[in-house]
Formats: sequence, C-alpha cells, structure tokens
Amino acid sequence: MTEIKTLHILNKSPEHPRFTRCLTVAGPEDTVLLIENGVLGLVAASASASGKLLALDADLAARGVGNQSGTVETVDYDAMVELTTRAQQVISW
Amino acid sequence: MSEHQIPRRNNEGFLEDASAWTPQVAETIAAEDAIELSDNHWEIIEFLRDFYKEHEVSPPSNRLFVKAVKEAFGEEKGNSIYLMQLFPGTPAKTACRIAGLPRPTNCL
Amino acid sequence: MSTLIVIDQPPYGGWAGREALDMAFSLAAFDQPVSLLFCGAGVNWLRKGQEPGTVRQKSVEKNLAAAPIFGVEALLADSDDCNRYGLEPGHLLDSVTLVRTDPQLFAGYSHTAFAG
Repeated sequence: MTEIKTLHILNKSPEHPRFTRCLTVAGPEDTVLLIENGVLGLVAASASASGKLLALDADLAARGVGNQSGTVETVDYDAMVELTTRAQQVISW
Repeated sequence: MSEHQIPRRNNEGFLEDASAWTPQVAETIAAEDAIELSDNHWEIIEFLRDFYKEHEVSPPSNRLFVKAVKEAFGEEKGNSIYLMQLFPGTPAKTACRIAGLPRPTNCL
Repeated sequence: MSTLIVIDQPPYGGWAGREALDMAFSLAAFDQPVSLLFCGAGVNWLRKGQEPGTVRQKSVEKNLAAAPIFGVEALLADSDDCNRYGLEPGHLLDSVTLVRTDPQLFAGYSHTAFAG
C-alpha cells in the first residue's frame, strides 16, 4: 500500500483564507482531501492543486455538487479513514 | 459561621464569586465533606488561589491539577495519592470548591 | 506522535480559540506532546497587557501563561503575521518563539489541527 507524505483535510470554502493557504502549502507529493464546505471549492482546487486531489462523496452529494468533469477522485468515509492511517502526517485545515 | 453567612454558591457547591472567599468559608465548605483543614491543606489551597489569580482559570482537570502542584512543590506532593488523601473524591473539584474557585471545566 | 494546534482567529470575538486551548491542555494532561501555533489574526492572543474584564471575559494572556505549567511544549507565533499586527518581540508573552509558517514547520508534527 502506498504511503502518503502529507494528507491535507480541507473543509473550508474558497473564500476562507485557509483554503488558499492549504493549496499553497500542499506540495506535489501531498494529497488534498476536500470535505464539508471544502467540496464547494472543487473547481478552484482542481485548477491550483499541485498534488493529488480527492473529495468526499457524501459531502459532494449533500450539496448537489456533481463531478461532471471527472477531474477528481471521490472517496467514501471508509476510504477517508484508511487515508489518514496511510499518511505520515495529517493537517486538518 | 452559620449557613446564611456563606456567599452564594452554585448547585455543586462552588462559590459564584471567587473574591467572596475567606478562610472561614473554606473551613465551612471543607466541613461539609468532613475534612478538617491542616497546614498541608492550606498549602494547596493557597497555591490554588495564587494560581487562579495569575492565570484566571482553575486547573481544568485532575491530571493538570496534579501537574501544576508537581511544578510548584515537586513529586512528593504533586502526585494523585497525596492529593486524594487531602481532598477525597475528585481532588481538583474538592480542592477548588474549598478554595472558592470555579469548578474545573473537564475533570478527566 | 506530536500535535500542532493552530489558532488563526483573534481572541475574545468567538470561542473557537478557547476550545483549541482546551484541546491542547487535554493532550498535555495525558502527556501527549503538543504545541500551539498562533498565526493570522491569532497572533493577537499573545499581546501583553490584555484587560478583558472590560468585556467580562477571562484573559487569554493569563490563561496561556499556564500552558508551560500544564506541559504544552511550545508557544509559536508566525513572525510575518506579528509584523502585520505591529507586534514586536517585546509586545509578546515571554515564552513565545517566532517562526515561519511553512511546510518545514508542519513537517515536525504528525498531526496539525486548525481551530474552528
């Protein structure tokens, strides 16, 4: 199973200062997981994330945010838990 | 001191206003728990009063109460057995109640 | 396994920061290594001479001074954000260390959690 260097869990919408800060800090080897209001930043994050981008399916569905472009890989709760165990470090924004 | 001379307290017996505390109040509250205050008790009570004045907070949990006492007086007194003997029950709660301070926020 | 708790919101206007402080104290109570980082408007927590009795609140300055006693390892402040708020080292609580908030800083902690 592949290790993740840093897992960034981002639950803020794009207007929140932490949204930009998170995407600035996250490097090419990192994974950014959008949850809660963070999924509203799907388009913004796809444009600027340098590493891997994921989104939580339940939060996308709850807000009616489709993944039409298919640019982002979605995960369920079990996969999210599994990601946190694989990451060397976790940053909850 | 008779009952009506004790300053206002909440439903758990903690003073509403820490500045209304006097040593006599401490003795009365301690007596409710059948504790007779010795020099060892007073040392901790005064420590807690000073701590509150300095930090505007009671040690938030029992473990942090023990840590704070250990910082001030060393291992010999900063351990839960010693403090439990002085202040039975949950030492942080019992000691804060007697010292006239607010209830520790989360007694872990 | 060490944790960095980040406070980026100003004191007194809300509760998120105080909840984060409780979290830090609880980790320390169980001897889990924990440090606090103040950045953004959060650096205002560290200002000397706060008198919040005027708004009927307890002083976060005095609360924070208990952090080393409870076993919180470090109080860190982002130096750029301190400059932005006109905070010079002499204006800050004595136990504060100035740092840059960058990936190298986060790399020192297995878990980082922002308050609120």
